[in-house]
Amino acid sequence: MKGLAQLALDTAVARGAEFADVRFLESEREDLQVKDGQVGGVDRSETRGIGVRVLHGGAWGYAGTDVLTREGAETCAAHAVALARASATVRREPVVLAPEPPRRASWSSDCAIDPFSVSLEKKLDLLFRVDEALRGVKGVSIAEGFLTFVRKRQLFLSSEGSEIDQTTTRSGGGYSATAISEGEVQKRSFPGNDGQHQTLGFEFIESVPWVENAARVGEEAVALLRADPCPAGEADIILEGSQLALQIHESVGHPSELDRVLGMEANYAGTSFLTLDRLGTLQFGSAIVNLVADATLPHGLSTFGFDDEGVEAQRWHIVRDGLFSGYLTSRELARRVGDARSRGCVRSDGWHHIPMIRMVNLSLVPGKGSLDDLLADTDRGIYMETNRSWSIDQLRYNFQFKTEIAWEIRKGRRVRMLRNPTYQGITTRFWNSCDFICGPEAWAPWGVTNCGKGQPGQVADMTHGAAPARFRGVRVGVGYDD
Amino acid sequence: MTRDDAKSVLERALSVVGEGEGEVALGGGTSHLTRFANNEVTQNVSERRFVLSMRVVLGKRTGRASGNDLSRAGAERLARAATAAARLQPEIPDLLPLPDPQSYRTVDADDEPTGRLGPEERAREVARAVDRCLRAGVTAAGIYETGRGTIGEYGELGTLAIANSRGLFAYHVGTDAAFRISALDGAASGWAARESYRAADIDGEALAARAAEKAVRSRDPVSWDPGRYTVVLEPAAVADLLTDMSWISLGALPVQEGRSFLSGRIGQRVVGENITLRDDSYHPLHRGSPFDGEGMPTQPTTIIDRGVAKTPVYDRQTAAKDGRQSTGHGLPAPNTVGPLARHLVLEGGSGPAEALLQGIDRGLWITRVWYTNVIDPKTVTLTGMTRDGLFAIENGKITRAVRNFRFNQSVVQMLNEVEAMSAPELAGGVVCPGLRVRNFQMSSVTEF
Repeated sequence: MKGLAQLALDTAVARGAEFADVRFLESEREDLQVKDGQVGGVDRSETRGIGVRVLHGGAWGYAGTDVLTREGAETCAAHAVALARASATVRREPVVLAPEPPRRASWSSDCAIDPFSVSLEKKLDLLFRVDEALRGVKGVSIAEGFLTFVRKRQLFLSSEGSEIDQTTTRSGGGYSATAISEGEVQKRSFPGNDGQHQTLGFEFIESVPWVENAARVGEEAVALLRADPCPAGEADIILEGSQLALQIHESVGHPSELDRVLGMEANYAGTSFLTLDRLGTLQFGSAIVNLVADATLPHGLSTFGFDDEGVEAQRWHIVRDGLFSGYLTSRELARRVGDARSRGCVRSDGWHHIPMIRMVNLSLVPGKGSLDDLLADTDRGIYMETNRSWSIDQLRYNFQFKTEIAWEIRKGRRVRMLRNPTYQGITTRFWNSCDFICGPEAWAPWGVTNCGKGQPGQVADMTHGAAPARFRGVRVGVGYDD
Repeated sequence: MTRDDAKSVLERALSVVGEGEGEVALGGGTSHLTRFANNEVTQNVSERRFVLSMRVVLGKRTGRASGNDLSRAGAERLARAATAAARLQPEIPDLLPLPDPQSYRTVDADDEPTGRLGPEERAREVARAVDRCLRAGVTAAGIYETGRGTIGEYGELGTLAIANSRGLFAYHVGTDAAFRISALDGAASGWAARESYRAADIDGEALAARAAEKAVRSRDPVSWDPGRYTVVLEPAAVADLLTDMSWISLGALPVQEGRSFLSGRIGQRVVGENITLRDDSYHPLHRGSPFDGEGMPTQPTTIIDRGVAKTPVYDRQTAAKDGRQSTGHGLPAPNTVGPLARHLVLEGGSGPAEALLQGIDRGLWITRVWYTNVIDPKTVTLTGMTRDGLFAIENGKITRAVRNFRFNQSVVQMLNEVEAMSAPELAGGVVCPGLRVRNFQMSSVTEF
């Protein structure tokens, strides 16, 4: 492993690279699906390869290969240099990296029970027990469940002398019940719409009450077919943690990526309203809103020792007491916001793709009180749970979400179930309307495994922790109100 | 990877399958992408990647394993994993036996100059586009990508070659090229793109000129109220909406499960009589694969004929359930997604999209849409944003920029409200015309 990576690094330097780093990555993955009483798929996959990133003439080149021979490594490195040379012909300012001390380290995520050592029978038995409970509810049309396990081992070498070996194990799963009538397709999911995932071993799967929740999930899906529609208009809304996690992801995480802010994602994902002049000046949210980026969060999906540039994991505020306070940065761009060092947010989704700024774990700091306390404090409102649909403009102002289910709140109590709940808003007005955030007892980390960004597209995972929170005067019932 | 190389890898892999029957597939190829922003190249990447996928079938049990070690040892590892997975799981009552050998059409999609296009040539094309934007006083951002094989937009791998123990073998390789450019002036932006199997069809400078013109026109937008408008959708916008519709509606699985607007409505008129929607991977603008993830020949399929629902697309599993033949739209089996129509063709009219302006007193011109997502699956109601060029149409002419809207619009209803169509082109992976549509629902305004 190290020999080929070192050969690729030496080749890049010998061919004139001012800077180079090499990642040798091997990963394995297992996906199991059960749908309507049958195995939907049992897939094992593995991949190994080398990615070489170089600076030459102040410009980037990147090549990845799965030809794991001496010739393959040398060719790959030479190709990366050739790409950088071509880049330099259309470059106005040279790339200058923020300094970073060389690191020699190894790091592993927690994993008490290796998920790849757990028998297939045991995993399928869990999925079939959930499936049986879901389909035991009269009116459930489709029952689906899945388990996913991922392990990645990466050796990082850089021309500055870093050598970092990291291993991450991720376990997760989820299920849903769908009920269908003539005009409605209603769905309930558990734990969230993307299941739940953590950087732990199979012990994480064993800690979740999968079967215990299945009947409720099925019953709610069926009940939604006959529930009243979510009213249209303005309402105070309470968002459950997993929905709030996606709200954080879309309206806080992406706009604070510095590459977006500086126009580097303009052609695809877009730019950001969090322009440099707003750092430290924009009242992003109300004074109780604190949002913290944290690559050290226990069991988070973007928890690591070092990012893919060899920068150590960090924790810092993106929003402090409501004020916009920080960006997600890289070694290339940190200086653009006056930082001497990168915040360590650069990751790639494999050896074949160049590392880029990706969200690390980003969470809403809990306030005080339980969900019951929050509901009791609400005279009239709508409590929304579990994401079903999301959309936001390319500067991250105008968003619209749909959740799977909602309840109308009157005088502190849930009085009726509502179907097809939607809400729409403008990011800063929305976060400034936040007047209640529940406490640590209601806070949970929610894993997101399908975050797309970049060209070529890359899929990253990260965690957003949140406790339920209330937002005043939000437009609801959008999309069903004409 | 040549046909002979692929066949050799697959035959070697099949030879190590011990118990039961085997299906082996190769996906991958080479992909190169030059990315630019702020008028300079910011990334320049290249990958070479192949994955061997092996499925072992033991009666009514099956398991799959995949990896990028194409050697005999790699195949043996996959065979052990796939066989173990198959052995350890319960029977799948609906599992079909592997298909017998099939015949395939040949699709000419492998353009040799595109396959060997180098970083210097991409850089030159990018430089021309950037210079054009600089001359217009706007900032350029975009990509120029080329590839050969089946590496998808998000790194997903399609099927380059497939073989099984019954003697089935299929191979298809194609090249692709795409240039996409945004021109920016603060929050004002314009966009243009071209995709083809031939890099020779790409003219970055012309695309830059179009994007720059839109960016300049997008300055100082006025705010219009939400409501229903007559709109002109450029092909890129139409393609996005149709792609979402395809994912949730046009395959046989959602139809069988009652999730599609086509469920229970085959043979009935579902959209306007001027709408004919097909899936055709052989269309000269698509030049897609002649077989699917199961190795079945892909059949051109008319899904909606002059407004009448004819059929969804099928894989083997859904076809068996309906007593039909597969139309060759399957993903690797088994799966829970079902078949997908991925080479859509919406028949159109003639002439440029600009001709659709005629007769609109007050309406909106939509360059493209962004971040669409499903609100209601049964009516294919989508939400999304307009982007990179939303303009007022007044008295048959484009007059000024309008602040971008969020829409909530049923695609089925939209296809009932089409007044006129331009000539079809390839945009966003769909062959489709621009459309003039009545009563398009704009729900809220954004800040730019």
